[in-house]
Amino acid sequence: MSTRETNEAADRARRLQRVAELLAEAVEPQQVLDAILTEGVRAAEARAGAIGILSEDGKNVELLAERGYDAAVMHGWASFPLAAALPMSEVIRTGEPVFVANIEQRNRDYPDLAHQGQDSHALVVVPLAVEGRVFGAMSLSFDEDIEFEPERREMKMALARQAAQALARSRLYAAEQSMRERMTFLAEASELLGSSLDYNSTLRRVAQLSVPGLADWCAIDMVGPNGEIERLAVAHEDPEKVRWAYELQDRYPPDPDAPTGVPQVLRTGEPEFYPELPQELLEEAIADDDELRRIVEELGLKSSICVPLVARGRKLGALTLIAAEKHPAYTQADLDLAIELARRAAIAVDNARLFQEAERGANAARALAYVADGVVLLDDDNHVRHWNPAAAAITGVSEEEALGRPVGDVVSVWDALTSHVPLVAPGRAARTVTVPLVLAGRERWVAVSGVAFGQGTVFALQDVTDEHALEKTRSDFVATASHELRTPLAAVYGAVRTLRRQDVVLSEDDRTQFLEMIESEATRLARIVDQILLAGQLDADAVDVALSECDPAAVAAGVVESAELHLPENISIRLATDSAPRISCDESKLRQVLVNLVDNAVKYSPAGGSVELRVSNGDGACVIDVIDEGLGIPPDESDRIFEKFYRLDPQQTYGVGGSGLGLYICRELVERMDGRLRVESEPGHGSRFTLELPVQR
Amino acid sequence: MRAEVVHPVRSAPLHRPGRAVGRRKLWRCESGSSAPEPPESQGQRSGRVETSGARRVLVIDDERAIRLLCRVNLVASGIDVLEARDGREGLALARKERPDLVLLDVMMPEVDGWTVARELAADEETREIPVVFLTARAEAADKRLGEQLGGVGYLIKPFDPVTIGDYVEEVLARIDRGEREQLRRDISSGPAR
Repeated sequence: MSTRETNEAADRARRLQRVAELLAEAVEPQQVLDAILTEGVRAAEARAGAIGILSEDGKNVELLAERGYDAAVMHGWASFPLAAALPMSEVIRTGEPVFVANIEQRNRDYPDLAHQGQDSHALVVVPLAVEGRVFGAMSLSFDEDIEFEPERREMKMALARQAAQALARSRLYAAEQSMRERMTFLAEASELLGSSLDYNSTLRRVAQLSVPGLADWCAIDMVGPNGEIERLAVAHEDPEKVRWAYELQDRYPPDPDAPTGVPQVLRTGEPEFYPELPQELLEEAIADDDELRRIVEELGLKSSICVPLVARGRKLGALTLIAAEKHPAYTQADLDLAIELARRAAIAVDNARLFQEAERGANAARALAYVADGVVLLDDDNHVRHWNPAAAAITGVSEEEALGRPVGDVVSVWDALTSHVPLVAPGRAARTVTVPLVLAGRERWVAVSGVAFGQGTVFALQDVTDEHALEKTRSDFVATASHELRTPLAAVYGAVRTLRRQDVVLSEDDRTQFLEMIESEATRLARIVDQILLAGQLDADAVDVALSECDPAAVAAGVVESAELHLPENISIRLATDSAPRISCDESKLRQVLVNLVDNAVKYSPAGGSVELRVSNGDGACVIDVIDEGLGIPPDESDRIFEKFYRLDPQQTYGVGGSGLGLYICRELVERMDGRLRVESEPGHGSRFTLELPVQR
Repeated sequence: MRAEVVHPVRSAPLHRPGRAVGRRKLWRCESGSSAPEPPESQGQRSGRVETSGARRVLVIDDERAIRLLCRVNLVASGIDVLEARDGREGLALARKERPDLVLLDVMMPEVDGWTVARELAADEETREIPVVFLTARAEAADKRLGEQLGGVGYLIKPFDPVTIGDYVEEVLARIDRGEREQLRRDISSGPAR
């Protein structure tokens, strides 16, 4: 080997070494390409170089980078078929390098190139392969014609091996990087989706997260309750564009029957993937709308992915990714990522909906458990499906006893309870009917309403026993007060009208009777009015009680004396006094109380008997008993008789009149004198009212 | 039986156009002195029916004052009057005497007016006797009940006893004209009396 050759060999080795160092430092594919095309071309003493890579589908060769070629020469060579009769295609197909010494050989071997680059000289194309798999080729063009000797060939091959390894490594790195990014994106998106049950807002954030990393445009559409498609989110880096997109959608509402896009994906449940949006598709969408054409052209739509959101076989919505102005066209890996994202989003939506449904159910059950109204749900066979605690309380039948059984077996009077209740359709105002319900001897008044829906009936029961009692008390009082006021008024008015008649001569006896009638009925009227007024004053706490020393025996004696004047024949009254102490009280009020109690004793002794007033000395108190042999008071009513307007036997079955205020007034007055009034009674055998007033200190 | 019939008493013939003559007779009697006093009733008078043509009205009311008012004024209109002081007496008397009309109080001891009306309507013998309620109960629900129980009139106390005779004649005349159902419906929907 000559010195020159030795020097040249050493020089080549140095240059290769230099390229190897540079390539070792390069990490990103672009850096690697730069290093190969600058240092590699120089090391090979070439004029220009280019790197082509086999496309993903294996059908084309795509020119990744070039250096030193004329732009005019390179035009139209960005991508060409693998099958073409071109040096790079051939090298990738065969895995063998091609060495072309001069333009004659080139034009002979590759006639397709004959018409261009007439000043070209030698050309080398070497395969880029890793582990025996060819993924591309590198071409080097020289300024001169060269018959490549084995050493020089070997040098080009060595350069190609270095470049191939560096490129493969950087592509692997890039793929890994991209995978890591995707994984990071998926992890972030998953975290977002799991962060809240408000899936609408999380989906919006997922859409936001997808731009610009995953897409230039991202849209999410959901299937509404009635199957309609609702746009939930549109995302773009530029919020201005998002607004514009919504405007656009308003102007061109999507056709739910469209054979492509979201409607189609939701119909089929299959993804729709356009690595390159076909021009026909865009033309079809544009139709003859010039403005739309302008918009579509401005958008520069490249590539799109539309994937359905499917959970448990149900199509919930669709995720659309569009690559336009920035994002590179979509690949299979992008589609996989989109499918995975859609899968996770669908699960999140489904979970959120299930949870909300369960929570709604739980809330409804909680509401039904605590609501004061009884709620009963019957299926169309009238079997009990729901029986809440209030329904149990009203009917006295527990939930366990009621559930699943025919309602007629659960509550025997159910038909009577509900037969008058008009069942309304859901959403209509329910009509409430108040009916008595007698169960296990208890009478309750229940307001019932019912709603009939497709699969059964729901009844609401409200226990209005207290309200009913109140209303009955009120109407009883109105009837009583009305009777008590109107009857004496009728007598007075009628007597006067009759006395003034000119056309009738009244007997002297009748005249006398009418005059007596006027007097006694007017007195009766005045007493009733007094009682009503006094009760009103007691209510307003406007009654003055003037306590002073008094002799209860003397007051009792006076009451007995005046009672005797108009006592029915069949009733006798007597007074028993033993060493009564002097007490502190309001004498007129005490008299009023005793008159009332004696009146009561007489009134409630329609069959006659004796009434006794007994004044005695109690423990630090004066005790006055008023004892009769009359009708008596049922034990469960002995407290209620002191209530305002309460009347034993309001229908007056025994013919006992009164305002229903007497005993109320008595107890109120006694308590204002620091005394106590109570009653003991045996129905049918009489009552004993006991009045205790404190002894004067 | 504590109820009794009282003779109509008049000071002078009343000439009212349009009225059936012949039913109207002039009566003069000292009420109370013409009939023996039943030992168990105080201040009540009894008598016998002495005219076959006069209308007979049974007044059932536990208030003596109201009975007295009705009696004096009805008799003055030439109407015979029977009196009962509670529901039980009233029912017995209605069955026995078949009056032309019953003036019926509601709030009475033991057997109230609603029960009396119900039992009169349930008994074939007394079903046709017209019932006019004369009561202190003034609520709409009470009137509806009176209508349901088949009453032909509903007078609320206080009432004008001077016109009661004319009122009874009018009711009976309308019933004769076949307007009984109309009278019944008028209780809760017709003009207030």
